[in-house]
Amino acid sequence: MLVSRRTVLKQVLFVSAGLAILPSCLHEKKPPEYKVKNIDLTTDEEATLISLADVMIPNGDKPGARQVAADNYAMTLMDDCYSKADQEKFKTGLQAFQKEWKKGDTAFLKKMEETAPDASPASAFYHTYKDLLIQGYTGSEYYLTKVFPYELVPGRFHGSVLVNKG
Amino acid sequence: MPNINTGDTSHNFDAIVIGSGISGGWAAKEFTEKGLKTLVLERGRDVKHLKDYPTTSMMPWEFKHRGQLTQQQKEDNPVVSKCYAFKEDALHFFVKDKEHPYVQDKPFDWIRGYQVGGKSLLWARQTQRWSNYDFEGPARDGFAVDWPIRYEDLAPWYSYVEKFAGISGNKDNLPGLPDGEFLPPMDLTKVEAYFKDFVGKNYTDRHVIYGRCAHVTQPQEIHKQQGRMQCQKRDLCQRGCPFGGYFSSNASTIPWAEKTGNLTLKPDSVVHSIIYDAQKGKATGVRVIDAKTKATTEYFAPVIFVNAAAINTNIILLNSTSDRFPNGMGNDNGLLGKYFAFHNYRAVITGKYEGLLEYTTDGKRPTSAYIPRFRNLVKQETDFLRGYAAGFHAMRPSYSKPDGFGEQLKDSLHKKELGPWSVGSHMMGETIPKEQSRIFLDKDQKDEWGIPLLHTDIGYDDNDEKMVKDFFEQMTEMYTKAGFTDLKTRDSKQAPGLDIHEMGGVRMGHDPKTSLLNKWNQLHLVKNVFVTDGACMTSTSTQNPSLTYMALTARAVDYAVKEMKKGNI
Repeated sequence: MLVSRRTVLKQVLFVSAGLAILPSCLHEKKPPEYKVKNIDLTTDEEATLISLADVMIPNGDKPGARQVAADNYAMTLMDDCYSKADQEKFKTGLQAFQKEWKKGDTAFLKKMEETAPDASPASAFYHTYKDLLIQGYTGSEYYLTKVFPYELVPGRFHGSVLVNKG
Repeated sequence: MPNINTGDTSHNFDAIVIGSGISGGWAAKEFTEKGLKTLVLERGRDVKHLKDYPTTSMMPWEFKHRGQLTQQQKEDNPVVSKCYAFKEDALHFFVKDKEHPYVQDKPFDWIRGYQVGGKSLLWARQTQRWSNYDFEGPARDGFAVDWPIRYEDLAPWYSYVEKFAGISGNKDNLPGLPDGEFLPPMDLTKVEAYFKDFVGKNYTDRHVIYGRCAHVTQPQEIHKQQGRMQCQKRDLCQRGCPFGGYFSSNASTIPWAEKTGNLTLKPDSVVHSIIYDAQKGKATGVRVIDAKTKATTEYFAPVIFVNAAAINTNIILLNSTSDRFPNGMGNDNGLLGKYFAFHNYRAVITGKYEGLLEYTTDGKRPTSAYIPRFRNLVKQETDFLRGYAAGFHAMRPSYSKPDGFGEQLKDSLHKKELGPWSVGSHMMGETIPKEQSRIFLDKDQKDEWGIPLLHTDIGYDDNDEKMVKDFFEQMTEMYTKAGFTDLKTRDSKQAPGLDIHEMGGVRMGHDPKTSLLNKWNQLHLVKNVFVTDGACMTSTSTQNPSLTYMALTARAVDYAVKEMKKGNI
């Protein structure tokens, strides 16, 4: 994803004030700007989305959620393709989630994972955002060229193929 | 005031065809091949094969929303956004609700494609012939009026259009679904083949076959001449096919007509009405509104084919009023716009199959299996009239487990597991045309082009409800016997129209008192006006109708040209 130098500088300035309370893994990250029109995100909330994306699918030998811009995709979808009511639910859930998330307790995510999406606003946010990150990840160029290559022109259909045990 | 260019020779043609979709394209091809200078009027923009398929080679990640509609698009288009193909990759080929309003006295989802090629770019490409069980239906079961033609009238024309269009299929030797001129079929999946075999062994009257479809699976000389290549099984047909792998006006009939040098294609030309000359006792031309400038022009020809798509053909005829025809052209009996019908696509059944798990599929396929109508086919056997066909598919989806978060989630996203076979069928039910099922024009409200707004007054009836119930019962029985599990039935209750198989309003028949068109698709009362799109249909049968429109069109042009030579038109 391309981010202009000016944008990066601006975001660094915005975010620096809140850095003290963010999980330490974020310190060296350059936060992307989510170009959302219908959701009003504070710097804090943006930082939560970024840090959660990093934790959800972390970077490593294989790229993480943010390295394939899955978080940008998630926010584009939420911004463009969801109803006003869903966006508000997302925002409320994000705020509820953030309160716990900032405490830095790793057991919290495990709890979210085990909670049904409709159990609480925080849990609804968690599962929606996770689903969108997965959509963004598995629909990314990386995933569809390097992991499970997408074939634009298959040129074939075989109806009966033995499953490869490997 | 309108700019009327009468008498200008550039406005005179040998034939006028209104519409460039699947039937208009055929009329254009046939007329131009026979040497007639032909004007094709298309109300939408031009769409040139290859050049105007902007999304055809896009990768999934190149779509901002990976194919999904935005909330704004959904809110702006409550009707067309229900259509399965109205997605980010093809929405430019659909009419947007706000641009072309109509009045739904009863809910009707009118799905339209206003461009050169019309909906032939977007169709589902299933091409099953009708049989005499279909043509004899109204007479046998006492509804609508008797078709003035039989299968034997159309059979050679089915062959004629199939060879050119390229139809992939198997010779199945079924009386209810006559065989045609087939290119090789694509594969059925292992479980489709299993179900075909199972049904064949356990039922005498039921069959599962490969769904015949308009895909060039093995190009013949005639397809190469059209510049079309073998279907590459992309399964992205709705974007327009760069290989011409499936039949569309854009890839096939329109460029073919252009090659003759006899075609004049005018996009952005909204036909307001057909001009009637009372002294000559025939139509002389058409009145056209420029879609952009709104200027009026007239074009003239000795023969006019109306192929504007079923509803728009009705609108044009209803709006073609004169002293002789105050209620619309050829409409002395007042039946124009009535006996309108469609296909009942409400019922869906899905399930799983846990057998044959050592098999899967490879590649993609733009068709599936097909279950021809078995209900009431040879004789009446239920408490409802007619019957239904069904699609059938069995595919094996693969998925990643979205478990946990962090490295665990990432690892699982880098693996895929094969699920059990996923099976499903959708119903394609015949509906009964009734006088009260009608479309008509508003007396006051007009659209941007000065054409009265359409009213739809079409609904389901008790026969349709019974048929949905029977579909669920019969399919559940067949699926259960075959060992399919986790069966789920769903009645979408979708409005008529979403089937995109709207038909009738200008029906064919023997008698001018009870029908609008004769056995040659010629208006009984205006012999030089022909209707060969969905509007002409006397009954609906269960088969996807486009192939029949193509055959009727080629047959009617052949007749019209012969009549012109004899001086009868």
